[in-house]
Amino acid sequence: MENIWTIENLWNAIGTVLRNWLAGFLPAWLVTLIMDLLVIVVLLAIGIVAVLVLSFMERKVAARAGDRYGPNRWGPYGLLQPFADAIKMLIKEDIIPHVADRFSFNLAPVIVTVGAVMTYAVLPFGRDMVAANLNIGILYFAAVGSLSIIGLLTAGWGSRNKYALISAFRAVAQLITYEVPVGLCIICVVMLAGSLSTQDIVLAQQERGWFFLLMPGIFILYFLAASAEMIRCPFDLLEADSEIIAGHFIEYSGMKFALFFLAEYIHLFAGSAMMVTLFFGGWLGPWLPSWLWFLIKTFVVIFVFMWIRNTFPRIRIDQVLKIGWKVMVPAGLVGLAITGFVDKLIADKLIAGVVLFICNIGLIIGVSYLMGRAQRRKEMAAEGAALR
Amino acid sequence: MYGTGLLKGLSVTLRHMIGTFVTDIRKFPRRYFTDGNHPTRSPEPYLHGTFSIQYPEEKVPMWPRFRGPLVHLRDPETGQPRCTACGMCERACPHGCIKVEGEGKGKERKPTRYEYNVGRCIFCRQCVESCPFNAIELSRFYELACYDKDTIWDLPRLLELGDKEVITEQGQFWGET
Amino acid sequence: MSVQIPPTERLRTDTIEINMGPHHPSTHGVFRMVLTLDGETVVDLEPRFGYLHRGIEKTAEERTYVQNVPFTDRLDYICGITNNWAYALALEKLAGIEVPERAEYIRVILGELTRVMNHMLAIGFLWNDLGATTFTPVVYAFRERERILDLIEMAAGSRMMPSYIRAGGVVADLPEEFMPRLQKLVPHLKRFIDEMDTMLTKNEIFRARAVGVGVLKAKDAINAGITGPVLRASGVKYDIRKADSYSIYDRFDFEVPVHTAGDVYARYLQRLAEARQSLRIIEQAMRDIPEGPVTSLPYKQLSRLKPPKGEAYGRIESPKGELGFYLVSDGSNKPYRFRIRSTSLLNLTLLREMCLGHKVADVVTILGSIDITLGDVDR
Repeated sequence: MENIWTIENLWNAIGTVLRNWLAGFLPAWLVTLIMDLLVIVVLLAIGIVAVLVLSFMERKVAARAGDRYGPNRWGPYGLLQPFADAIKMLIKEDIIPHVADRFSFNLAPVIVTVGAVMTYAVLPFGRDMVAANLNIGILYFAAVGSLSIIGLLTAGWGSRNKYALISAFRAVAQLITYEVPVGLCIICVVMLAGSLSTQDIVLAQQERGWFFLLMPGIFILYFLAASAEMIRCPFDLLEADSEIIAGHFIEYSGMKFALFFLAEYIHLFAGSAMMVTLFFGGWLGPWLPSWLWFLIKTFVVIFVFMWIRNTFPRIRIDQVLKIGWKVMVPAGLVGLAITGFVDKLIADKLIAGVVLFICNIGLIIGVSYLMGRAQRRKEMAAEGAALR
Repeated sequence: MYGTGLLKGLSVTLRHMIGTFVTDIRKFPRRYFTDGNHPTRSPEPYLHGTFSIQYPEEKVPMWPRFRGPLVHLRDPETGQPRCTACGMCERACPHGCIKVEGEGKGKERKPTRYEYNVGRCIFCRQCVESCPFNAIELSRFYELACYDKDTIWDLPRLLELGDKEVITEQGQFWGET
Repeated sequence: MSVQIPPTERLRTDTIEINMGPHHPSTHGVFRMVLTLDGETVVDLEPRFGYLHRGIEKTAEERTYVQNVPFTDRLDYICGITNNWAYALALEKLAGIEVPERAEYIRVILGELTRVMNHMLAIGFLWNDLGATTFTPVVYAFRERERILDLIEMAAGSRMMPSYIRAGGVVADLPEEFMPRLQKLVPHLKRFIDEMDTMLTKNEIFRARAVGVGVLKAKDAINAGITGPVLRASGVKYDIRKADSYSIYDRFDFEVPVHTAGDVYARYLQRLAEARQSLRIIEQAMRDIPEGPVTSLPYKQLSRLKPPKGEAYGRIESPKGELGFYLVSDGSNKPYRFRIRSTSLLNLTLLREMCLGHKVADVVTILGSIDITLGDVDR
């Protein structure tokens, strides 16, 4: 019997051993059921642990960007801070506004969190480490990931607060807008990989090189659209602190607020993980075990998101929609056309990759030039406006 | 090129992030600047690196002129308060946070009651400037948070605080004569 | 060619009215705006203030002239030094007090440091209102403000409530450590302003958000009595330091920058340029500062000051605009009338006109670009 106990295979080995042990005294259907439930529990646990780590990391990155230390009081280097935060949130009083629509008010955090957690099912955490290797994995991810829009709308409506309502409007407008470019970018990747399964996409990158290198233009497009989907800065209009205070969760407190918080960071983790899967070769990498590579890459992407959040202001809602429909959708369509033609017309994969890269650079320069020209015109028109 | 401004902004924040870690490495085994030589008060200003004062462990020394709560000074020879309850400080205070009562005449006059309401005080130092007897000065204490509303300080307490403070003469740091 | 929808099938929409403030993260204090929104567009805006009213003008009539100095600190609590200065100037005019040379230089140095501090803070908070949610530019601005406040504390004994400039000069001479530190701080502040420039000015998101937003016409600004960087960003070259030169500003070589766009972006650029000019003035003042007495009127005389009957208006170019004190004396030791021409209140008057037709997000941006302090608005 070959040795299954390698670091590469650690988690699968634990599963196999557990399954064999259970099969000794339980009927087969029960073993399957228990193992599936166990996977769900593990995924939920990953979600919560990720949230604890990310909330700590968010605060530390924000602090370091601002020449500060961040939380450093509770535990060595403040490492226990997320637990203190969690305890504080859980024991806070749960306030339901007198005039709120109780049903939708209570339902909203559940929808948002469930929608976020379900995306974990198709994330390829490592070689042979995916909870459900669906052959439509990406489609599932896109579909389930946008379930949270309904939750946000419910929250905004149910709170009966005008700020929350504005946030709900924004949620619907923004998230529907950015579904389209996300879909277009995913189609480009799928065309190159030839499969909708997340594992196959990763394996395709082993063969052709990371898609980030092949299609930088599509990657930037996806990065922006995905940050809009994840409600990250500069597209975090829904929870715009300085404008509509906290948006849809303005009236929430305690556990329900914690659920929104959870959903936000689960989305961040899942979105970054999906970005790694689609463009950065997923769990591919030398020397280290695959699941570690996956985590490292994911955290690098998350760091970039946090870095951006600590540097940029927010875009206005009409600009968000304008960029979405007038820039990103056309750019996505052009990118789609380029990818399709190049992939079909050029048989040699290396040459196809080079051509694709050059076309993508051209796409970036073109879009950048057009946007810059529009901005320059606007600025020239603004000059001297006060004196006219 | 559209987008370069964004990248420039990112480079600045990244430089700041790296700078904080450089500070960490520079003071490495220690976690706090406990020797009083905190960068906040360093005469060499720097652009990158952490700037926080980690308060209970690190305390920044106040400048000599710092205006904290009022204290009374003693006569160095007799050890008695120099205050003669003339009431100038009471009249000078814009907020009426000083109440003085005294007895006796001329040089023998002593305060019987001196109430200083630190909760109302705005630390403007006008009482000190109005004092003709070199009897009061503002101290450098700043940790004034308390659990009760005991904000009215009387003469023994003000004298005691004055003993803790190194100031011996009124206006010795203010270039007054 | 548009398709005509029958009225019955048209979507029935309504405006909503929201209260922005008094507790709202970006109203810079306790300021309240009643917004009427059509979707996200502002169709009406009514500013309501007075939540921080402390009755300083009336209280001041019950205090002697010198006792009023600490009250002036508390008007615009970001720049206490310039408030002291304006009051001192009014009182000097009223009572005919001479100011020693060295005191004027000290006033200029500290006043210009206050201007740098205020403008950096205004830029930081503008970014906060724009949505840099983790305060990064604000924290940078606060760091430099801390260094400047350190110097003010060293000289005056208090960071934000200095009460340092009084009629007849300043309270006390600068401490020995002050000048060496200032000489190191000024080049540092230049570097810092350059860094802010690199980080913020070219940012495309910022430009998209700020260009063409909240345009204030020069004509309207003049009619409403708006002054300071907001006016100059609208293309009017009006700076009291040049127009009605007070103190010793005529000795310094500096420019009054002007921008003509009149929008949020122009106000940002205006503040950046003015902060640079302030550093230029400080450099010259550091070079030229003479030795000598710092006050012509020690406290014990000042506290008994009884100006002759009459009235005086002293005005200075505070960082936010024209700050004036109007004093009427009836010959006693207390002012008969103590009137403050507060900058923030007058700059706020055209908020509605600037905001109409813009989005909710722009309202906070425009408010941030005007740079108000609620202590100054409500007094």
